Amino acid sequence: MTWNCEQIETRLSDYADRLLPADERKYFEAHAASCARCRALVGQVTSLLSRMHGLEPEAVPTGLERRILEQMLGAGKKQAGWVAWLGWLQPVMTQRVAYGAVTVLVTAAVLSQAFGVDVRQVELRDLHPANLYRATTRKANLMYARGAKFVTDLRVVYEIQSRLRPEPEQPAPTEQKAAPGQTQGPEKQEPRQQNRADESFGNYSLLAFTAGLAPERSIR
Amino acid sequence: MRPGSGAGSEDAAEVEPDAQVVQDCLRGDGSAWEELVRKHTRRVYNLCWRFTSSRHEAEDLTQEVFLRIYKTLGSYRSAHGGFATWMTSVTRNLLIDHYRRTRRDRLTDSLDDAMPKLEEKHSPVRRPDQATLAAELSSQVQRALQKLSPDLREAVILRDLQGLEYAEIQDVLGVPEGTVKSRINRGRIELARVLEQMGVRPE
Repeated sequence: MTWNCEQIETRLSDYADRLLPADERKYFEAHAASCARCRALVGQVTSLLSRMHGLEPEAVPTGLERRILEQMLGAGKKQAGWVAWLGWLQPVMTQRVAYGAVTVLVTAAVLSQAFGVDVRQVELRDLHPANLYRATTRKANLMYARGAKFVTDLRVVYEIQSRLRPEPEQPAPTEQKAAPGQTQGPEKQEPRQQNRADESFGNYSLLAFTAGLAPERSIR
Repeated sequence: MRPGSGAGSEDAAEVEPDAQVVQDCLRGDGSAWEELVRKHTRRVYNLCWRFTSSRHEAEDLTQEVFLRIYKTLGSYRSAHGGFATWMTSVTRNLLIDHYRRTRRDRLTDSLDDAMPKLEEKHSPVRRPDQATLAAELSSQVQRALQKLSPDLREAVILRDLQGLEYAEIQDVLGVPEGTVKSRINRGRIELARVLEQMGVRPE
């Protein structure tokens, strides 16, 4: 029995791995001895295999094992607890960040004062948007009321001043006109002063009335 | 091959060298994971490197393999066969996924292969020591492997570079023994022919 080229190709691996039974090995070698093409192919494959089996595997690149472990145990640390969870913060903990944190805290305290949140007795419900809104509106209304009261007070003072001041200014020219004569001075001034006092009293009561009402109305 | 491969699978079933480490890993033991990684990284990395021919991709894929193993180690116990074989299956599946994903990119890369060939032909003349010859052969095999279809390439890598038994390759690839043998045989012949075309003479 002789083998053909196709059979040689099919059984080449078995031959190279020494898995052919003795009789088949004989047929295989007989054909290879007579066929130059098959002999060359067998030579190439067996040589390739012996050299490939002698190849050392590549060394693991430096740092690859460490990266793999970090990747895997990094995922595991998440389950380990708060200590592991806070571990990533360590590089962030610098002096500059601490100053920044303090500044933010102070700002938050100032803002909470402005929005009417008492930091000493802060409760969870104070942070509810509706409560925050209500507190802020209350603060804004109070501030507006105070401002309105201040403006009204100013107006009262100004009105008092403007009522009191024009009087001596207006008679001044008449007095100056009269001055050269020196005859009517004291007699004519007295009734005028009396009239002015009456007038002022009326104005004061009116102003006191408006001043008393105006701020109350603004606050409510 | 039958007697050899049969003995191999029995060994794997009876004395699984990684059984204890795997148990410790499942219990969440960090040092067990470390042992597992130190023991198997080289093998996984080499399989990835031989298949993709890119060290960068091989590193990424090796990391991906271990992450996959970390997540799915629980399912290993139900699978039969040795741990190393299971690990090779995971690696091989990721390699095939990667191969399909990057198929389009490779079409443009194939032109670049011509350049290093010319340089490396001269290198043995300059430094013909043992280590250089081995390195040269390794890179020649590497280039020739890339000319093979992925089916033949993975079969030859698993058998002749990773040293797996036929039965183990059968488990990894999930194809019948006859198909495994035929792929390895065709892969070897094709690889030898490609190397001959590249001008590599048998010694």
